[in-house]
Amino acid sequence: MDYFLQNFPQQLVNGLEAGSLYALIALGYTLVYGILEMLNFAHGDVFMVGGFLGAGVAVLFVHNGVASIPPALIVALMVLAAMGGSGLLGVGIERIAYRPLRNANRLAPLITAIGVSLLLESVVQVQISPAPVLVPSNSLTPQIVFQVGNIATPFMGATLFVAAILLMVGLDLFVFRTRFGSAMRATAQDREAATFMGIDVDRVIVVTFLIGSALAGVGGILFGLRFSTVNFFMGYLLGIKAFTAAVIGGIGNLRGAMVGGLLLGVLESMGGGFISSQYQDTFAFLALILVLLVRPQGLFGQPLTDRA
Amino acid sequence: MSDGTPVLQIRGLTCHFGGLTAVDRFDVDVNQGEIVSLVGPNGAGKTTVFNLISGILKPIAGSVQLLGRELVRQPAHRITHHGIARTFQNIRVFPQLTVRENILLGTHHWTRSGMLGSVTFWPGTLRAERAAQAEVLTAIDLFRERLEARLDDPAFSLSYANRRRTEIARALAARPKLLLLDEPAAGMNPYERIEMAGLIRSMRDRGLTIFLIEHHMPLVMEISDRVVVMDHGAKIAEGLPKEVRSNPRVVEAYLGRRAASA
Amino acid sequence: MSAHVADAEPVHWLKRFWESGPYEWNRALTKPQVLFSLLIVASAVPFVLQYVEDNSAWTGAEFWIRILTTCAMYACLAVALNLVVGYAGLLNLGFIAFFAIGSYAYALVASDQLHHHLPLWSALVTVVAVTLGFALLVGIPSLRLRGDYLAIVTLAFGLIIREITIDLDRPPVLAGHQFGPSDFNLTGGTAGIHMVDPLQLPPWVPLIHGAALQSRTYYWIFLGFLAISVFCLLRWRGARTGRAWVAIREDELAARAMGVNTFKYRLLAFCTSAVMAGIVGLIDAAYIHNAFPGSFDIQGTVLVFIMVVLGGLGSIPGSIVGATLVTILPFVLQQLVLYKYVVFSIVLIVLMIFRPQGLLGIVSIRPRAAMGGTVELLTAESAIEASELPAVTDRDAADLESASGAIVAPEPKP
Repeated sequence: MDYFLQNFPQQLVNGLEAGSLYALIALGYTLVYGILEMLNFAHGDVFMVGGFLGAGVAVLFVHNGVASIPPALIVALMVLAAMGGSGLLGVGIERIAYRPLRNANRLAPLITAIGVSLLLESVVQVQISPAPVLVPSNSLTPQIVFQVGNIATPFMGATLFVAAILLMVGLDLFVFRTRFGSAMRATAQDREAATFMGIDVDRVIVVTFLIGSALAGVGGILFGLRFSTVNFFMGYLLGIKAFTAAVIGGIGNLRGAMVGGLLLGVLESMGGGFISSQYQDTFAFLALILVLLVRPQGLFGQPLTDRA
Repeated sequence: MSDGTPVLQIRGLTCHFGGLTAVDRFDVDVNQGEIVSLVGPNGAGKTTVFNLISGILKPIAGSVQLLGRELVRQPAHRITHHGIARTFQNIRVFPQLTVRENILLGTHHWTRSGMLGSVTFWPGTLRAERAAQAEVLTAIDLFRERLEARLDDPAFSLSYANRRRTEIARALAARPKLLLLDEPAAGMNPYERIEMAGLIRSMRDRGLTIFLIEHHMPLVMEISDRVVVMDHGAKIAEGLPKEVRSNPRVVEAYLGRRAASA
Repeated sequence: MSAHVADAEPVHWLKRFWESGPYEWNRALTKPQVLFSLLIVASAVPFVLQYVEDNSAWTGAEFWIRILTTCAMYACLAVALNLVVGYAGLLNLGFIAFFAIGSYAYALVASDQLHHHLPLWSALVTVVAVTLGFALLVGIPSLRLRGDYLAIVTLAFGLIIREITIDLDRPPVLAGHQFGPSDFNLTGGTAGIHMVDPLQLPPWVPLIHGAALQSRTYYWIFLGFLAISVFCLLRWRGARTGRAWVAIREDELAARAMGVNTFKYRLLAFCTSAVMAGIVGLIDAAYIHNAFPGSFDIQGTVLVFIMVVLGGLGSIPGSIVGATLVTILPFVLQQLVLYKYVVFSIVLIVLMIFRPQGLLGIVSIRPRAAMGGTVELLTAESAIEASELPAVTDRDAADLESASGAIVAPEPKP
């Protein structure tokens, strides 16, 4: 029990940090599901590409020894590259692979999405690197560790958390307080009626993918800076966990994705810290099964009507 | 005609969607051998009633009894097994299945044929399959010339009227005690409508009880033993076709208050 | 089909066949005579290859038999996936995990890992039981919900089971307690399980009868299982079970309205497909004498998906053709091997956009606008929505007129 109380705060902090990353990625899944009712399996890989784009920028600068450029600027460029690149990638995927299938039956875009996912992973694996790529975050970010009592968190860890929260708050304001945001919500509720109201549904969809993918890209580069590494497979596991987070919160529900992500992060951290660090990933899966058995609509979702 | 024993008894059926009361304390009896029509303006809740009866929707209150058996808590597929078959307003045949296979699906609930039996050529299974195949011919009996030539064509290649007939044959193949027809004459020209009227009467003459939703008033007037009128989720009138036709509440529901008082 | 008027000019039967479309092609290709002949021909191939090698300078027989064995294995997997995706319309994204589970289950009961060496039938029963158990674990929570949830759960399952398998080369430590002795090593971790027993087949099995097990023996074993799978699928498709599956895929709501217990049939399709994959895993473990975690990789699932989609969803001959093409092409086009996954994923995407029915497919992916827009409905709200849709004509105005006519018109005076 003592062990538990002693380590609980640290695990909580770790969990929130991981959870904020899950939440950031989960937002992209949930936004797209809300509007198109499709699961964008390639989203996790967009996160991965974002990480690689940022890493590429970093490697470019650091290895060319441009010592005079302040690291903060380099990091800013990395983030921009990650955001922009991922955003464009997401928009491109929607345009090429998903739009033609918008009216086809459910299976089609899902099968296409796993094709896109495999394509991204294998292109990065073959063209860039099958082994993990080092991100020189040592030279780019302050290597300080915040310590409060016996809770420690590295600079990038705290930054990741704060950045994710800020982005989520920004998104929330955008979706719930702006005109375009209400257009997005309208399209999510009833796509056909939205067109009758004069909403350019295609534009809404493009922007949705843009925002979701850009957020994933930022997540990718924050991940890369936090853990000093990116690899072609990182989108897969994190994507599934972000998915789980979105389902736990209620797929299609924005705030649900945020809460679900943080919750999953904490849950995992607790499980990993107190039960088994080896089987940490299993907790996410168990959480998923549990939610589907007990409350399939998630925390914030509308009750799925009783299917007899 | 009808011998008066109720096949379907609905009492106090109520269903909400969010803040909207789609069906409000609906009562009706449908007796053996009757043709009862459910009419009302668009959005009155008629198809919702059918969805409640067939188990696709769950009511928040009320009871639906088929020959004394309570249906409300039962899953949809069990309700079919108890003796109710239906057609849908916008025809729901299985497009990639042939006409024959569509109709065979009607026999699903009373055919004892499983996976193991199929691969081991189990005699009981083979017999069940043969019985189901025979039922197809019985089911299309009333309009044999129409569908017989098309039995092995996929349903998506059929004309609208033929798809409607396939759907009805599929429902008949389920050997129901009660048949729910949701706008059987929708989308039909006058000749097809006359044929449909005859079809409905023939089905009744063979012992079926029929509860149908229909918008085409002349058809309703012609074939119904009784008419039930709904508006805004509630029953507003019931009786013989002639009585209902001139009921001022009914006129008001369809045409507005002015027309009723005119 | 409807009767033809006698043609003025006789059309060559091959041309007529070509023009009849996938529906007829499938019907022709799944006739027992055709399938049986193809089976005989396929079985004879190793002899032919051996003969060519014995009588010429060519030495590729062993190599090509190995490729054909892999091909036959993938054909079995493609057929199993076709059952769950093509017939029942369920998206099992963790499909290959069941293959791997079968592999490991056999390896555990037929190697030195646990010091069991079960004979064939006991091993088979064990593998079926284990695979079925996992299929139920995954299927029961998810198959009551819409298809998207199954996709997520199976995807997650595939990943988690791989991790767990890799981690089970030491005793699990939960909350500080070690479960099991320190030399506990269930799965061999990242290296997998080695020296798995070959299959001990009963003497009455044709072609194999206790002779030294070479590659071609396993070719025949896979071919045999393929034959059994195809037989079963065709028997099911032509009977109540298969019709129910397709009905669920086409229109779940209408299927329920016709008395189909959709949950039960989804579970049947899912579990059967999983068990079939598990049995293929069993044979594979015996073939390569190994069970290894790479079998769990998602690329495997996507590869089989590509085979099924390329060949055509819902078409058994299509799955076999697809498996053959996807397995053999990288060998024929050497440059392809490195870029295998890149190329194949592009092929999958292009197929889904431009020709989702693949080569021989008969499942419609396109919107069924002609059917009055039948919509897949899994929630009551959308049931209401769809049911209140106006019928396909513009009869509302006309009806109101006739309705008013019928209601307001005074009784005709005698």
